Amino acid sequence: MLRMPEPDQNTLARRKDIIAAMREIIPAVGGVIVDDDQLRPYECDGLMAYRQLPMIVVLPENTEQVAAILKYCHTNKVRVVPRGAGTGLSGGALPMADAITISMMKFNRVLEIDWDNRAAVVQPGVTNLGITRAVEHEGFYYAPDPSSQIACSIGGNIAENSGGVHSLKYGLTTNNVLGVEMVTIEGEILRIGGKGLDQTGYDLLGIITGSEGLLGIVTEVTVRILRKPETARALLLGFNSSEEGGKCVAAIIAAGIIPGGLEMMDAPAIKATEDFVHAGYPLDVEALLLAELDGPQVEVDYLIERVGKIATDYGAVYSRISETEEERLLFWSGRKNAFPAIGRISPDYMCMDGTIPRVRLAEVLAGMQELSKRHGLGVANVFHAGDGNLHPLIMFDANKAGDLEKAEEFGADILKLCVGVGGVLSGEHGIGVEKRDLMGEMFTTDDMKHQERIKMAFDEDQLLNPGKVFPTLHGCGELKTLHAKAVADKFPDIPRF
Amino acid sequence: MADILSPTTPEQLRDAVSWALGAKTPVEIIGSGTKRAFGHAVKTNAVLDCSKLSGILFYEPEELVISARAGTPLADIKAALAEKNQQFHFEPGNFPGLLADNSVSDAGTIGGLVACNLAGPRRIKVGAARDHVLGFEAVSGRAEDFKSGGRVMKNVTGFDLSKLMSGSFGTLGVMHTVTLKVMPCDETSATVIVTCDDPQSAGKAMTLAMRSENEVSAAAWISSADVSALDIPLASEFGGGLVALRVEGPKPSVAWRAEALCKALAPFGQTHEFADSYSHRLWQFVADVKPFAGSAEKAGLLWRVSVPPASGGDVCARLMAATGGNAMMDWAGGLIWLQLSGSDAMDQLIREVARNAGGQADLVRAPEALRETVPVFQAENPALAKINAKIKDNFDPEGILNPERLVPRNLIGEGA
Repeated sequence: MLRMPEPDQNTLARRKDIIAAMREIIPAVGGVIVDDDQLRPYECDGLMAYRQLPMIVVLPENTEQVAAILKYCHTNKVRVVPRGAGTGLSGGALPMADAITISMMKFNRVLEIDWDNRAAVVQPGVTNLGITRAVEHEGFYYAPDPSSQIACSIGGNIAENSGGVHSLKYGLTTNNVLGVEMVTIEGEILRIGGKGLDQTGYDLLGIITGSEGLLGIVTEVTVRILRKPETARALLLGFNSSEEGGKCVAAIIAAGIIPGGLEMMDAPAIKATEDFVHAGYPLDVEALLLAELDGPQVEVDYLIERVGKIATDYGAVYSRISETEEERLLFWSGRKNAFPAIGRISPDYMCMDGTIPRVRLAEVLAGMQELSKRHGLGVANVFHAGDGNLHPLIMFDANKAGDLEKAEEFGADILKLCVGVGGVLSGEHGIGVEKRDLMGEMFTTDDMKHQERIKMAFDEDQLLNPGKVFPTLHGCGELKTLHAKAVADKFPDIPRF
Repeated sequence: MADILSPTTPEQLRDAVSWALGAKTPVEIIGSGTKRAFGHAVKTNAVLDCSKLSGILFYEPEELVISARAGTPLADIKAALAEKNQQFHFEPGNFPGLLADNSVSDAGTIGGLVACNLAGPRRIKVGAARDHVLGFEAVSGRAEDFKSGGRVMKNVTGFDLSKLMSGSFGTLGVMHTVTLKVMPCDETSATVIVTCDDPQSAGKAMTLAMRSENEVSAAAWISSADVSALDIPLASEFGGGLVALRVEGPKPSVAWRAEALCKALAPFGQTHEFADSYSHRLWQFVADVKPFAGSAEKAGLLWRVSVPPASGGDVCARLMAATGGNAMMDWAGGLIWLQLSGSDAMDQLIREVARNAGGQADLVRAPEALRETVPVFQAENPALAKINAKIKDNFDPEGILNPERLVPRNLIGEGA
């Protein structure tokens, strides 16, 4: 069972003083939440298996307030949990009993659209889709599109380095962020990056993206916006095995075609979604591939034919091409509703997020079936086939004693399987608390200590989002100690000149 | 005579760093040593030569991934990719050619390319080396092995140290293995050129092209002084400078988009379309910054000014007028190469112009003596400098890895 850092009694004893200090910083009504019933909505994020009431919640409205809050917390050694829209799936915004949860959802304005530099400057509480909504009238959009895009915030996207279904062609959040304004735990306001492409010094923007709220609180974001492709068309391709589907994916890419989207589902996922949304998916195939080509009409028409031909050559037993925009959206409706579709047939489900080298797909799916039998729980698979990012959905019943624990063990085994074939624990959901204790599967202690040394450079007292990402937090003293190896004048093995 | 350590395995590399740490002897880290003149001189008598940590570990074209020892010659890697009709999407040019006379093409190592975070014309569309590094393995200044990332396209497991190492110039750790994403070469490309003498109107033309739906993958301006060096018929016949815009992809799409660009850009000047082979030649010219290639002694000082792309035209015009230098623009104006013929770096003037536009300027090429007094890299603001210094101190507490390569002690706080 997950262990979080023990609440600090000293902090809890000072709760009244802390509330008074926060009210002074945020005078607005409702800016400081202290009552249990109002704290309740903040007790978890998208990882609902773990819940904890925060000590208090604050909703600052501007950068200066964030700076004042963090400065106070730094001076008074109060822990902080940053929070965006609360849609994260790895528990990155799980509150702590002795920490202030800082909700950034009042930072909801689009500040500037710079069409000439193809950049949008927004506050971190703006939703992912909100950016696209703000620029689509001029034919632009923001490319990364996590499936929670209607609700998730761009600040949260930066914390998690969110992906989406178009990331093979258009990149992840980290490839589409140009700059941020960020407040450190000391209350210092930093500006990193901007509308230009180079930044001097170390790539702090690259480190902050995906740092899960451990390094600071982002208060402004500059992202790249792209021209919306003129058109998009999709193909539905059915195969007799996931292996054949995987080979077809490899062949498409080997032919030099990088589809905008390339998604795959296994038989249980196909059946569950078809029963739910009636997208017209074939029920007699073992794997369904959804490939989307986007770009100018001439390009899309040309490529869709080529992909169709490759699919036939690689044994597709079912093939359908979208002829209208309605039909394309219908194809997608199944994939996009895969999670709720599983929710319909199982009381609860747990979504995993490993990434593997695509070539190992068949082997990993077979391994998953084995694990499914061993743990006695069903699993359905949807995955981003282009980049090897798997989303196995483990089905269980939280009301059944022991089922949650079984599901967690099953999930951990799946991730170990992914790491074992050269993959990783998380492709786009983040580590948070959910996968924290599995970090050792991928990293040595020294690997993790080097990551923690970045943390030390930003937050020496470890006040920002403690208990997340790292299984063991090493003290600053320990991280700084130099374990100097035996020193020799000569290393006979090393050629010297 | 410098003490040169040439490890042949990652274990030997760790031993070498361990020795440097114990002996408190700073080391200069080199691959093939082609970019030693970029940045400040590392003043030490010990060289850690990584060129024997060489060889491709695996290359899986269908998985779009290549992994190699950091000392592998870039030429070997590019040849392997070309054989499978693939490429680094970020299109690195021959940077060493900007530092020496008669540099061979694709000089340098893959580790050096990542450590300097290089990128060519396609950066405006797909990013730099940092956007394509999937993972690395290294030894830090603590003589400890550490790694980050992996070999898969999508990975958010732990902090993204691959970004940190890209562009860190070997000051945090010595990489022995790097893994990068590769992409297929496009079926074809075409380049639309528009006659354009004046950098300001060139800037406007490039901005218009980038805003269009034609998926321009590179946009550059070549001044009239440099067009003749292009060696492409017609380009020089036009006389005057030109804006070049590239589109890539499947044939019918490229034809359609090139035509659309010709139409859209007609108000700026005479337009013409180059097909694949001339298009390749032109962009190799831009990627290599051909007109300004050579050593500091022969080809003068060279600045790399990075600004928000849409302001590039104005900044370029101002810099040319104020310095009397020659210039070329890439990244749709986001990158200005400025060549000065005299010995005055004019750093304060150039950095002020860049800063006022929201950008920065680095002195890519200058004689070593000049680099003693002029900061090569624009200084970070003090708050960021403080964090950067802490990171350096945490990764390399004794300061043994490429000390003062980025900022010499006597120049701390200058170059803002």
